Amino acid sequence: MPKTHPISIQIVTGDARPIFRQIVDGIRMDIACGNLPVGSKLPSVRGLALQLVINPNTVAKAYSELTSQGLVESRQGLGLFVAQPRQLLNQTEQDKQLNDAIETFINDIAYLDFEQDQVLHKVSQAINRITKKQADGG
Amino acid sequence: MSQFCIQTSALTKQFGNKLALNNFSINLSQGGIHAIVGSNGAGKSTLFRLLLGMETPTSGSSVILGEDPQKMSPQTRGLVGYVNEEHTLPPWMKAGQVVQMQKHFYPDWQQHRYEEVVGYFDVDPQQKVSGLSRGERAGLNLAIAMAQNPKILILDEPTLGLDVVSKQSFLEALMFADESQQVTVIYCSHQMEEIERVADELIVMEQGKLTHHSTPEAFVDRISSWLVDINGHKLDADLIPGFLVSKKIDDQHQITVIDHQGDLAAMIGAHEVQQVPVNLEQAINSFLSKNHRRPAARS
Repeated sequence: MPKTHPISIQIVTGDARPIFRQIVDGIRMDIACGNLPVGSKLPSVRGLALQLVINPNTVAKAYSELTSQGLVESRQGLGLFVAQPRQLLNQTEQDKQLNDAIETFINDIAYLDFEQDQVLHKVSQAINRITKKQADGG
Repeated sequence: MSQFCIQTSALTKQFGNKLALNNFSINLSQGGIHAIVGSNGAGKSTLFRLLLGMETPTSGSSVILGEDPQKMSPQTRGLVGYVNEEHTLPPWMKAGQVVQMQKHFYPDWQQHRYEEVVGYFDVDPQQKVSGLSRGERAGLNLAIAMAQNPKILILDEPTLGLDVVSKQSFLEALMFADESQQVTVIYCSHQMEEIERVADELIVMEQGKLTHHSTPEAFVDRISSWLVDINGHKLDADLIPGFLVSKKIDDQHQITVIDHQGDLAAMIGAHEVQQVPVNLEQAINSFLSKNHRRPAARS
């Protein structure tokens, strides 16, 4: 039986994002930055619900969204595992997500004193780190 | 039996001149935690008393587990558990004695379930009820209610006045002791962080009426809030469909609306509008305080 990979996400109440969305975002982030490598086993629905003190149905809902996004896959009788990355979004959806993310990012950094090429350099470094980590983990 | 374990149809209860419950119709499917929110006096406790058969409706009807609560058989009555905020138990009895006594009323008493639930709390069976903390009494009550193997569990502000530790134990016991998740829980609370954590369904009551019923997320999705600048003009809320509440913040207005559509800026002649995120608590507060124009904050 494969061992469960612990998940270190935190949820907060009173956030505009519902709890199931916070879980989806948190796990997506953990997968993206390599904290949860491909093939690692997620906690059970009940286990993560116990950890976060929330309704197990909320975790089930988050897991089902992650599954339909293709980020995790269920293996019969064994649980849920981080899937081999594959693209399920079409070009338009991908464009939209990228644009949304860029807008948020630009909002966050607009008032900082960096030159454009410094920012671009750091962004490309960060992307390289993730790509490398994914390659190592996968 | 129908797919719903609780159905009410135009349920109405009048006390003197006051309509405590007004044409209340709802269908609750089996399983899950159904949270009821509403201001004090919205009719939640009246609803519970009617469902428990403790009151007779003025008009309308309800069906619980296939039976009319006013004429319910003792067997079915035993399947409906109830815990309220008072956590009343005979103060002179020891905790263990209370449990011994309760056991005999319920043919289907589940001792393992009792022990599992009470395990979330630190209740000493030798301790007299009068010496138990509020949290321990709440835990004991929940454990007794769950051990009756109920199909429906009605909880009326069960965590009111509990400290943070007892409150967490209560929520954990509620969510995790029932592994099969077959119990339909009706949970009334004013504490939004609890509702966010536990609720599968959200039911909003106002002045004896049902005004919303969906998942909590779907409810929050209906509410949107905007910061608008109308150049010092007076805000005319009648121009905004679905207007709920407005608040003056410095020289801007924060306007919260339900089921927003159309161009807000054009509606009110604002030269700038900016949407702001809304959480469950803000959504419920705005919804319940419809048509209140809040006074400007004092500076």
